[in-house]
Amino acid sequence: MSVVVIAVATESGVPIFSRKRGNNESVQFSTIASLHGINMFSKCHNLSLIETQVDNGSILWKEYCKSVTLIGIATGGLECDLELLLSCVHDAMIFCVGKKELENLKNIDQIKRDLRQCYPILDYLLESLDPNAVSSPLPTLLLDLIQSILCPQAHQLQQALDNYAESVTGRWACLIIHGHLVATSSDFCELDPREARLMLLLAAAQDGAPLRDTPVYFPQMSPNVAFRAVTCKLLADVYILVVCGATPALSQIDEIVLQCWEGYASIIKEAKLGFPRNFPMSITFEPCVLGLLIVNINKRRCVFSRHLHPSNQKGRGMSGAHRMDILRTFYITTARELAPELKHKGPSNGIENMTETYWCSEYHKCHAQRSGNILCCGLYASSVQLHTIRLITNQILQDLSTNKDVYW
Amino acid sequence: MNSYKNKISYDSPCDSDNDWTNSSDDSKYSDSESSVPEWDSDVSEDGELVYIKTKINNDTIDETKAPLLESCETFKLRNNFKRSSTRRSTKGRIFKVLKAHKSKNTDTGSKRDNEGLPATSINKNMFNDDKFIIIQVSKNMIFSSEKNCQLEKLFGISLETHADGKTLVVADFLTEAKPIYTPKIKKGYYLSKINGVEVNSYNINNILQRIIEDHNSPRLTFQVPTEGSYIDLERLLKLKNAPENSLTQLLKDSLCSVLYLCCNDIEYNSNDDKGVLYCYPRPFNQNFLHNTRGAYVTLNHLAPKSLGTSEPTNSTVFHNNTLINITYTSHYNDLLLIAFPNKEVDMFAAKKVIADIVRLLEFLYGSLKACFTKPNNVDKLDSLFSRIFVTLVINNKGSKETGSKNVGLYLEDSLAAHSVTLPLEVKVQVDDAIAELEAADYREWTDDVENFQRLYTVIGACLYYSGHLLSSHLQDEDLKEINAYLRLNGVLKLSTDKELEKLVMWKEVFINEHRKQNKNEGNEYRVLDGRWFLLTVGKGHFLLSTLMEAGGCTEDAVGITPPSPFYVEECESCLELLYDVGLHKYLGTWLCSNTQPQVETSPEYLTKYGRKIRDINNSTLKTSTLKLTKSLSEKRRHNSSEQINVGSSNSDMNSLTNYGSHHSLYVHSYNTQKYRNSSLDVSYSEDSNSLKSNSEVSEERVQGRRADREQRNRRDSSGSDSDWERLDGSRASGSMDMSDIRKSLLNEMNHVTTHRITAGEENVLFHFVQLESEKGMLIAPVKNIEMQANNVLYSYILKTFRSACKQIHELLQHSIRFKKNHAPSNPLNKILVAVKEHGMLFQAPLDILSQCGVNKKNTEPYLFWVVG
Repeated sequence: MSVVVIAVATESGVPIFSRKRGNNESVQFSTIASLHGINMFSKCHNLSLIETQVDNGSILWKEYCKSVTLIGIATGGLECDLELLLSCVHDAMIFCVGKKELENLKNIDQIKRDLRQCYPILDYLLESLDPNAVSSPLPTLLLDLIQSILCPQAHQLQQALDNYAESVTGRWACLIIHGHLVATSSDFCELDPREARLMLLLAAAQDGAPLRDTPVYFPQMSPNVAFRAVTCKLLADVYILVVCGATPALSQIDEIVLQCWEGYASIIKEAKLGFPRNFPMSITFEPCVLGLLIVNINKRRCVFSRHLHPSNQKGRGMSGAHRMDILRTFYITTARELAPELKHKGPSNGIENMTETYWCSEYHKCHAQRSGNILCCGLYASSVQLHTIRLITNQILQDLSTNKDVYW
Repeated sequence: MNSYKNKISYDSPCDSDNDWTNSSDDSKYSDSESSVPEWDSDVSEDGELVYIKTKINNDTIDETKAPLLESCETFKLRNNFKRSSTRRSTKGRIFKVLKAHKSKNTDTGSKRDNEGLPATSINKNMFNDDKFIIIQVSKNMIFSSEKNCQLEKLFGISLETHADGKTLVVADFLTEAKPIYTPKIKKGYYLSKINGVEVNSYNINNILQRIIEDHNSPRLTFQVPTEGSYIDLERLLKLKNAPENSLTQLLKDSLCSVLYLCCNDIEYNSNDDKGVLYCYPRPFNQNFLHNTRGAYVTLNHLAPKSLGTSEPTNSTVFHNNTLINITYTSHYNDLLLIAFPNKEVDMFAAKKVIADIVRLLEFLYGSLKACFTKPNNVDKLDSLFSRIFVTLVINNKGSKETGSKNVGLYLEDSLAAHSVTLPLEVKVQVDDAIAELEAADYREWTDDVENFQRLYTVIGACLYYSGHLLSSHLQDEDLKEINAYLRLNGVLKLSTDKELEKLVMWKEVFINEHRKQNKNEGNEYRVLDGRWFLLTVGKGHFLLSTLMEAGGCTEDAVGITPPSPFYVEECESCLELLYDVGLHKYLGTWLCSNTQPQVETSPEYLTKYGRKIRDINNSTLKTSTLKLTKSLSEKRRHNSSEQINVGSSNSDMNSLTNYGSHHSLYVHSYNTQKYRNSSLDVSYSEDSNSLKSNSEVSEERVQGRRADREQRNRRDSSGSDSDWERLDGSRASGSMDMSDIRKSLLNEMNHVTTHRITAGEENVLFHFVQLESEKGMLIAPVKNIEMQANNVLYSYILKTFRSACKQIHELLQHSIRFKKNHAPSNPLNKILVAVKEHGMLFQAPLDILSQCGVNKKNTEPYLFWVVG
């Protein structure tokens, strides 16, 4: 598999950046020029190339802000929504440099330099497509969903986050454990899910720094005015993120953090134990469930889990990473159809009102069912019968909706 | 239909005492007539022939509604498997004479008329007369026009100007004027004359002025728009020159396009048009594909070389507010581009269609290169592509406008030949007829066999009825190609829509086997050891395509080869034979009888009373007993009120009263497929099994598995459930009692057919498709089933089914692709490769359900397997 994203200035044809993931060679300058030329040429003839499919992949052009053209090339049986990827890349670009800069493109060299800081975010985005990257420490599995951990402590943590945001005169605070969203302040939902996701990626990209602030532009909310995002490392793999104004200074924030979070260390540690199971211990699963992906459709949040059973023996034959990949592929190719509102855009393919879907293969079975706002995709052992699977999925959905420890 | 009955009485070859002295008498008789066939004058200079004559008064509807009982009588079993061709005019001694015969004698139809064909069959060439409709508007009538427009006041119609700026098109009728026009005149017709004077947008006002002064009632002449939504395929097929401009314009507007480019440098420079070898619709500079060809050519080069991907297969572009799919096919250095608007031909279909088109072009011309470089071929290609586009795009659009629900292409159509499983005995009859043709045993026809070498060997033949493949004696590849030829040329559609009086098509083709052999040798196509011809003969709804070989053991065909009347008649007689046994009537009812296997066309019956549809994998676990009891009482009430429960009571015998007669038959005949559940109606007919080859095994397994699962579900449900279910079953089938009686009558004759695949008392199978892509065959319910059902919910289910099918097909293709290509060079998604089965559960939206008067939940789950 390989995926390449190239950004070119539409007018001048100057390449801005090119990021790739996978085993392909990097794209040469002349090729970039030709690809851009194709798009420009067809545009002259009042015709816009939307997508081109090759065997096992596709090529996509997309123009944003009338100034930047993104070209995406995916090959090697990669199942992904290239259009979604490009719009995410574009969001990330705005996130770093702001929309105005991108529109004007006055100083391309400057922008190229500025954009360099969003490369880690872009790489994370590309990584989320790569099946081989599932085993990496901070897996980002889906482009458009925020990976979360469901834990009973979320409610307490929310109060702490609210408190913290207030004391730094900021907004939209959240707590991140292992790159997963665990708890949010109560106003966090004001953020567009994609903006929230970029925030998470930002925290992941700044791995290691104990306290840091970055100017960010929110693509939907304020594409032209920068905010100050402050990331603070509380414990190993635990970050808090808050958006605030120019004050207080970082040194002051450091003190505030200590004040606010001192008493919560134990709770956070407790919550941290939830990883990698990612579900509250009060929810139990049948032993035949090998992996689970729960999507909260409204909040665009998802919970992946492959460690559902406390005494998980390794001798199951299928590696955990592979399980995640199966679930992910199942979700992207098929189960997403269950939630039409999750679809980016794209032509409707006539499949509407689907309520359940499943796959059977030699080694496993996948089943997805939607109930209201929650979509449940389960990976099962191949020996389980389909009607049992349906029953189990249904049971899981019911559990999730009734369990008090589930706090989205 | 009367004509055929006449014929049967005229000479019935089925009579057991029919012997050859009889027919030789006949042949003497007809020999005295002119031996020039009626299509002779239509043979073009290169020997190709398209001759079509359709019946004007199309009585297909009557035929389909003919009671099944009648057809049972008319379908005579042909017991004497003797050669019983009805052909009698040409004898062996005119083999050669006619081959060289180029007489311009236009003594047409002499033979046929003697055979008692109705004199009313007017050649469609006179069709032009029908295109004008004259309406007289009374002068006394003054219509109230809001716009105070003279025209509206006088005639009660409002007009608008056609795109050409001259012609006047009927845009709307005033309410009061509607009764005058509506049956004959529709919106979109052209107003061509008033009182015999031609009108256009320039002179209309003058003419109106004159009419106001005139005291006589004005006569309006309307013209049916020929290039409107429906284009007469028949005319197109007959067309020998390039299609007229109006059609070209229409195709241009609909954004269909085809372009063939050669991309190597030598030809590029030597060619005036910069490498463009063929482009349609023309002129070049108005063809969007031509104008933007640079982009595709670059992409085609760039993708494999610089990006390391394969060559592009298709592009979606946005032009003039239309999504267009462009498909690529490269042939060595050359590139063939074909564009279709997405609305009519979506991506999925476009991929299949281009494969078909390439297949067709290779079939007709040997190779793509030869096709586009052959001199003086442009007109032919023009009309070929115009037919392709008209078949695929324009006429589909037309049907949509008239309110029909089929959007775009039928899924079934784009994949493969839609074949129909026939009962064993009918199948034998059909096969026998074709085999007889293929055997080419002409001893009886010539006096001195030794002296005459045959002109052609029949390689194989395939028979269609109303666009459904009945039987094929062809190689798989040949069948695919012939199917593409017939379908893309619109012949299949023509034979479905209209009743053919006579159709003869003759074309030189290049069969796949030979092409491949040449490709392996690496040289361009040359005629090596023979030539092949495709003869298509049609009658009624039948189409018989015969592939013939010249050369080898038969006489070498040299130069231009017109069709040989002998073989044409041979094929015609084969079709006539089928008529004589009444197959056309039988098939009409067979196709309507919904028994192959039966699909449930009224899904709301299954839901109406609060019970979920119990479909293939839908378990009954969730159905609470409470609900069941309630629904049962409702059902009882329903039974008594509507009184449709003719033969069934609430006893346990119910399940046997309806299907019982067949069921016992099944058990006797077949012990191969027995399920433990005694009330299962699962059965497999031997004939359908014999039709298919190895892949049948997989299907059986699939069905078996499906049934197993169903059973499991049943066993999981509580024991008391089954009692209720039996009652339910009786009710549902009770409503179909009448048809069942007919069916059982049919059944006695057919012995055994596959009636139902699903297990359980109720038929819960709505639709199915089995594709054998290697064989180019597809098994599905007949196309008119949707029309028959005439049911919003069923149409919805079908629509969902089709789109879901596409997805499942795409997904499962991964696994096939994986098996086909073992090279690791082309990495595939490992997860997708492993997927063997994929199912979706659908829920019909409430508005559609409420349209059917159902307000309960309905689900449509279904499975689809492709086991490589």
